[in-house]
Amino acid sequence: MKTRSPFSRIPGALGITAFLVFAVAIAVQGAFQTRANIVQTFDRQSKIHRAQVWLEELSRLQIDEENSVRGFALTRDPFYKDQYARAAADFVAKERRLRGALRTENLSAAANTLDDYASLQANWHRKIAVPQLAHPGSDIAAIDKENKAFSDYEDRTTQSIRVTLGDTSDALGRASQEELNRSLVGRVFWLLVFGLLAILFNAFRTRSNRELEEERTITETLQRAFRSEHVPLPNADVGSAYLSASSHLAVGGDVFDVYRLSDTLALLLIADVSGKGVDAAVLTAFIKFTIRGIGLRRRDPGAMLAEFNTAFAQTVENPYLFVSMFVGVLDTETLQLRYASAGHDSAFLRRSSTVQQLAVTGPVLGVMEEPFETKSIHLENGDTVVLATDGLTEARNRSGEQLYETGAMDLIARSSRQPQLLADELVAQVRALGGNRTRDDIAVLAIRVWDPEVADAGE
Amino acid sequence: MRANRFALALLAALLATTSLACAECRVHSGDRVVLYGTTDDPDVFVWDSRFRMRSYQGGSWDQAQALLPHALLAPPGTRATVSDCVGNFVQSKYAALPDDAVGIVIVTGPLKGKLGWVIGADIRRDYRRLPTVPRP
Repeated sequence: MKTRSPFSRIPGALGITAFLVFAVAIAVQGAFQTRANIVQTFDRQSKIHRAQVWLEELSRLQIDEENSVRGFALTRDPFYKDQYARAAADFVAKERRLRGALRTENLSAAANTLDDYASLQANWHRKIAVPQLAHPGSDIAAIDKENKAFSDYEDRTTQSIRVTLGDTSDALGRASQEELNRSLVGRVFWLLVFGLLAILFNAFRTRSNRELEEERTITETLQRAFRSEHVPLPNADVGSAYLSASSHLAVGGDVFDVYRLSDTLALLLIADVSGKGVDAAVLTAFIKFTIRGIGLRRRDPGAMLAEFNTAFAQTVENPYLFVSMFVGVLDTETLQLRYASAGHDSAFLRRSSTVQQLAVTGPVLGVMEEPFETKSIHLENGDTVVLATDGLTEARNRSGEQLYETGAMDLIARSSRQPQLLADELVAQVRALGGNRTRDDIAVLAIRVWDPEVADAGE
Repeated sequence: MRANRFALALLAALLATTSLACAECRVHSGDRVVLYGTTDDPDVFVWDSRFRMRSYQGGSWDQAQALLPHALLAPPGTRATVSDCVGNFVQSKYAALPDDAVGIVIVTGPLKGKLGWVIGADIRRDYRRLPTVPRP
């Protein structure tokens, strides 16, 4: 494979995942924000509650003071004096704390009322408590009346503060409820929005996948139609295997061919077209039949590639399309293999237990007009020529490590000698390497030759 | 004919107003009540005028000091009979709702026989049965 299909998994699965992650992030952020607001409100409510408790304690201390003074006036028992002194000191301390709490909560009206209350209590000290403690029992009736007036007014001021604190507490409770409601409405809204987007993305993905599958089916049909059937060759066994990339990827432009040019000459071809899909599949047919046509006229693989390069440049207008190709002409009598390789580095020769790479003799096709060198090697009895596409050398294991040519040569060396088994094993091993998933198509063509003289002698 | 209709309408309006005013008051003339302030401060001020009482409830501390000579302090538990009631007449300075001004005749305790005004919050209904005189 040279480029990825536009219909990849990215817009579908990754898109939905990204949206879901975003939705979850918003939900989590909203939850934390709501929690912070609620905590703040609870904290304020707790302060208000403490202030309410202090106010009740203040009222109780006020009554304690009054009762202590009255008790002393009636009995002259110094116990009441001590009680009065303790209650008066506590009153001042509690009043100070309550004022602090009211100012912290910005309840200035309540704080002013508390000032009135403190002022009334100070007046009561001066007018009632101090004279009674100094001269107990003097004019009890008049003092009771004045005491009652003080008590009435102090009661009204504390009641006012009580109402303010209660109202503030209620308002905070309502604010908490509203915050929760807002949060709920917000989350439902975002849930609907993201749910809708996820549905839309899923629909888009489903549609893309359907289109991809349709294209894949067409492409595979075309490739099956254009792929060579095994042509029996004298003094040679041929095996081949083809594995499409995993289902989400489009079918690529791999092609191979074994074609008898004459009784003794066979054309060996393997090529890989950049791009994928129907265009690439059609191009593979163009390659196969054009090379066959050229091969019938020319027997030099370098010249065949040069002529094809010219035809390719004139036929295919897309400047981004190029082809890597290996063309070999095998003489099945002499076992002479002449070959040329246009940037196709997945060509190997297995001899005994060693594997060597067949050299690249020119650039890929469709890029520039360059001559292609033809090389020649003499095959020996039992030699196997293994031609593959880059799905073999660029195969990756689950950790993402690439096989490269050395890894491919190791696999070839360890594979069976019988060409069909060898091709099948290579494909199976690449598939196993990637955890039953292949990122690219793989085509393997294996031709094993035997020397008839050696074979006859063996018999 | 027209004069009759006008008189009927006036009578209906008067009746409606009167019934509304009566409904606002929690006690009525002749009701027997007990004077009782709050648990913390059970004594009750009995005022010589409902207007002074209103000034005391809604006014400042200095006003209160000036008004105090016009009030008697009745101990809690003092019995009285309602002689009059004006609904929602008194508005205390910090209270949310107004209170009734209740005219009373004190029937027990050191202030027995005194007439005066108290606020509605300072009275409780007296549900005791009146002592009956056995027949000879």
